[in-house]
Amino acid sequence: MSLDLMSLERAVIAAPPGLDAAAALGQPASTLVRGGAFLFVSGLVAVDPATGQRAPGTTMSETRLILANLKRMLEAAGSSMDKVVKVNVLLASMLEAVPMNDVYATFFPDPPPARTVCGARLPDGCRVMIECTALA
Amino acid sequence: MRDVISAPAPGLDFRRHYGHHQSPAIRAGGLIFCSGMLPIDPETGERQHGTLTSEAHCIFRNLKLLLESAGSSLDRLVQVHALIYDSIEYDVLNRVYRHYVANGPPARTVWTAQSEAGFKIQLDVVAAA
Repeated sequence: MSLDLMSLERAVIAAPPGLDAAAALGQPASTLVRGGAFLFVSGLVAVDPATGQRAPGTTMSETRLILANLKRMLEAAGSSMDKVVKVNVLLASMLEAVPMNDVYATFFPDPPPARTVCGARLPDGCRVMIECTALA
Repeated sequence: MRDVISAPAPGLDFRRHYGHHQSPAIRAGGLIFCSGMLPIDPETGERQHGTLTSEAHCIFRNLKLLLESAGSSLDRLVQVHALIYDSIEYDVLNRVYRHYVANGPPARTVWTAQSEAGFKIQLDVVAAA
């Protein structure tokens, strides 16, 4: 791939209303940033798009909400779920990897993106956090 | 353009063996993004639990297979996330890690996290295509 000026561009992309959790929670982070050919998405937690507030629940409900929000924000940015190349899933408990995977499988096309899943200590009692890299 | 890299050996198809909804790796924008690499027997798909050292050897052997099947190699690694179960094994990781990235090692971050099935280590890597 040739390196032209476009491919070196960096741009902060505004998330749709209600989905810019990083800004709503006062975090020094942008929810979506484009760099070169890629779109980098901050770690997302479950947020109700109607209110912009956190929506804590089960691993399954949080996964469903996060991925529905991710789909909307990727599409608003001109990308899509089938352009996702890599997903990192952080779970409060690896015991819940199977229910996460069951919900996850309904959101991504076939063949799915590359993915890493791990258990981690998440802030604010979140059960799930998902970050991803997509083609812009 | 997004290319799916298929499993380089029958055991490394985690989707078939474990139902994980993921491709082994994706090539896009000049890079190869690999799914979290775990110590799995490349022929049988069986989990190879062991010490952090033995698990890391197994992972690097699998990673070599995967990257070479995609036209890349361990020498072309750009970034590595090493997720280990306990930071007390940091030096243990470094000793085995050196064998595989002898020349100009990639950027790396190491932290502690749980991996599936109680594995001691998982590698999450990006390589140049």
